[in-house]
Amino acid sequence: MIIPIRCFSCGRVIASDYVKFKAQIDGIRTKEGRDPTPEEISKTLDDLNVTRYCCRRMILSNAELLQEIMPFD
Amino acid sequence: MTQNIKIIEEGSTHITFEISDVTPAYANMLRRTLINDIPKLAISKVNFHHGEIRQGEDKVYSSSTSLFDEVIASRLGMIPLPTDLSMNERESCSCGGQGCPLCTVNYSIFAVGPKVVTSGDLVPLGDAKFAPVDKDIPIVELNERQAIMLDAEAYMGRAKDHARFQVAIGVAYRYHRELTVSKREPDIEEIVEKAPKNVISQDDNEITFTTDYPSKYIAKLYRMDSLKIKEDDTRFIFHFETDGSLTAREVLTYALDRIKNRLSFLREQVPGE
Repeated sequence: MIIPIRCFSCGRVIASDYVKFKAQIDGIRTKEGRDPTPEEISKTLDDLNVTRYCCRRMILSNAELLQEIMPFD
Repeated sequence: MTQNIKIIEEGSTHITFEISDVTPAYANMLRRTLINDIPKLAISKVNFHHGEIRQGEDKVYSSSTSLFDEVIASRLGMIPLPTDLSMNERESCSCGGQGCPLCTVNYSIFAVGPKVVTSGDLVPLGDAKFAPVDKDIPIVELNERQAIMLDAEAYMGRAKDHARFQVAIGVAYRYHRELTVSKREPDIEEIVEKAPKNVISQDDNEITFTTDYPSKYIAKLYRMDSLKIKEDDTRFIFHFETDGSLTAREVLTYALDRIKNRLSFLREQVPGE
């Protein structure tokens, strides 16, 4: 659906970090025409201070489905 | 009990500190107070406008969005709002829980699609200092036929009541630990050079490190044969973050005062003192 605002386990606000994370990763995709490497993904999360694995899985495992159902509203 | 606090590292939303001359029970009490007993402002009541939303002459928008109203209300509650600790809590406010400027802050959102509604669109009615700290949190996405109009009430609460009042995040502590190794170990000079802050003392034969400061080189010590580990259960290294509604130092100061007040309240209640 849409990115949850807080991490389910610890309560850290991750929604705004997700927006920045996505901009960074999409930047690599459009600029260099390839998928980001695991190292780049890991470094992007570290730079956003998303250090605990509970918060990292919130960002990594999110599926954006809201845009897909929006035309049917 | 007189505890000593030494701040190891501090930022506006995170803090690492050492608390000494306390018992393990006190350390756990501090942890639990930080987790669930810090008051914080959060949106708790939301009124949605239902039906058509008109703007200008011929633009008509629908107020139903891709997310249920309940979901939007929950998301609004989770947004960290700047908190003034001198604000009253609702139950103990002079208005008797009705809602007044001493205990309540009102917010509103008006946005028309196509747009991603973010926490920046959440406007406080009245004092602008209550605008959300983080302006980039997405709340809901609107297509070109949708609009959202709502007003919301925020009041103080504690994390034991609901997750939206969670201020301190990732609260954890560990014992102060001293690692003593022989100076004849092969890699020892590199570790001293790379992690100079962690060296507590050294003599001709042995050298003692602490794990208080994070360093990846300290991990090498655990593989050494001459290693002796000493832990001290009166000294604790704490670390926590906040969600931005309060600074880390405000949270810590409040928690320590809170513990003091609750313990003295307990002492007053015990008969025969």
